[in-house]
Amino acid sequence: MIFFTHYKNDVRQVFRDPVMGILIFAPFLMIALFKIIFFFLPPFLISRLSFDISPFYQYILSGIIVMISGMMGIVTGFLMIDERDGNISELISVTPLGKSGYLINRLSFAALPSLVYSIAAILFLDFVSVPKLNIVIISILSSIYSAVIGLLIYSGADNKVKGLTFAKGLNSLSLFAFSDLFALAWLTIISWAFPPYWVTMVIKNPQSTPVALIAIAIHLVWLLTLIFRYLKSR
Amino acid sequence: MRLINALISDIKFQSKQGFYLVYVIITAMYLIILSLLPENITSIALPLVVYSDPSVLGLFFIGGIIMLEKGQGVIQVLIVSPLTTGEYIVAKVISLTIVSVAAASAITALSFDGALNWAVFLVSVALTSGIFTLCGVVINAGCTTVNQYILKTIPYMLLLVLPCFSILGSNLLYPLTLIPSVAALRLMLGAFSETVWYESAALILYLFMANFLLYKYAVKVFEKKTVYQD
Repeated sequence: MIFFTHYKNDVRQVFRDPVMGILIFAPFLMIALFKIIFFFLPPFLISRLSFDISPFYQYILSGIIVMISGMMGIVTGFLMIDERDGNISELISVTPLGKSGYLINRLSFAALPSLVYSIAAILFLDFVSVPKLNIVIISILSSIYSAVIGLLIYSGADNKVKGLTFAKGLNSLSLFAFSDLFALAWLTIISWAFPPYWVTMVIKNPQSTPVALIAIAIHLVWLLTLIFRYLKSR
Repeated sequence: MRLINALISDIKFQSKQGFYLVYVIITAMYLIILSLLPENITSIALPLVVYSDPSVLGLFFIGGIIMLEKGQGVIQVLIVSPLTTGEYIVAKVISLTIVSVAAASAITALSFDGALNWAVFLVSVALTSGIFTLCGVVINAGCTTVNQYILKTIPYMLLLVLPCFSILGSNLLYPLTLIPSVAALRLMLGAFSETVWYESAALILYLFMANFLLYKYAVKVFEKKTVYQD
């Protein structure tokens, strides 16, 4: 109950702060922008460079989902860093909400919008047909990934600049969503350990239960490890 | 001497914050991506990659750097320190440009073996980096959180980046080169193609001027909004 009261107040506070409000809604604009880009880009590439981009649509969809959930994670990570700098997180941790309540509260800021945006991206961009069950799985993976990114930035960076450096470096993780394309065995093997690879795999193998289970397991291992690290710290 | 000391201290700080390490990772990432592309596409994709990431890294980082130093009281000390605001900003611009030039050179040298005018290429990276870093100084004025800064960069980025698409269009859109970001992209693409020397020279001169004017404006805004916090 306390969690929901806090969450309701926090959501109200976020919407009062235009910066956070716009950042939370920015992915909607990004999805619309991608829709426009992919309306004009394929014919342009074929006419100018004789390059057909359509065989890569599954990878592009995965890249967009990973990018949006990564962005939500980055916003949440910086929100938490700012709150740590202002000692707000410390104050909340001594309220009945507690340290874990604060963490769940903040991570759900990243996870819930990511859940919605990944569904919106799949349905609105309509690049590839994804079965309903897979849409659900991908949206869950996307929300976990956003929480993972938020936690990685928060726990890895002890100041804003390091946070920016981390955010920049973490963008490189998106590469793993495309690693199959490079036909480099070592890169594919490394990719197995990273969530973005499995988002692509779930999109590419809609009927495979083992792929879906491994994807969820890898995401959960990252999330739980980081939560454990967070709760152990301080 | 003051400027050199400030520059050394900025480079040390950036190294401590992991800038160089993260750009080694990013360079490796781009090398993997570029290795996948056919050669005729690499010559188009490479300048776009260099322009869109290493050249504009200053815009991404400068906001956080200034906010952190503001929080640590470094900026307030500027008022009583012999280091001028101009020197403080120049040291930041040069140090971030060094990272830009190093990353851009590594990506290009390791992924491209076609014809390239290295002198024009390096100058274009440095001048582009200067423009975007100085824009960051201006954007940062009045920001209190990184999220606020990120949000404030979006309209500036749209204003600077959208006109760049004019390069794909007809010659009628050439006047858009007056926008420094378009001039910078044109100069960079020119380094990879057989551009006439006087066009490159004119673009370099124009970008130098743009950097200088932006520097003057950035110093004014920085002093007013960040140092004295009007």
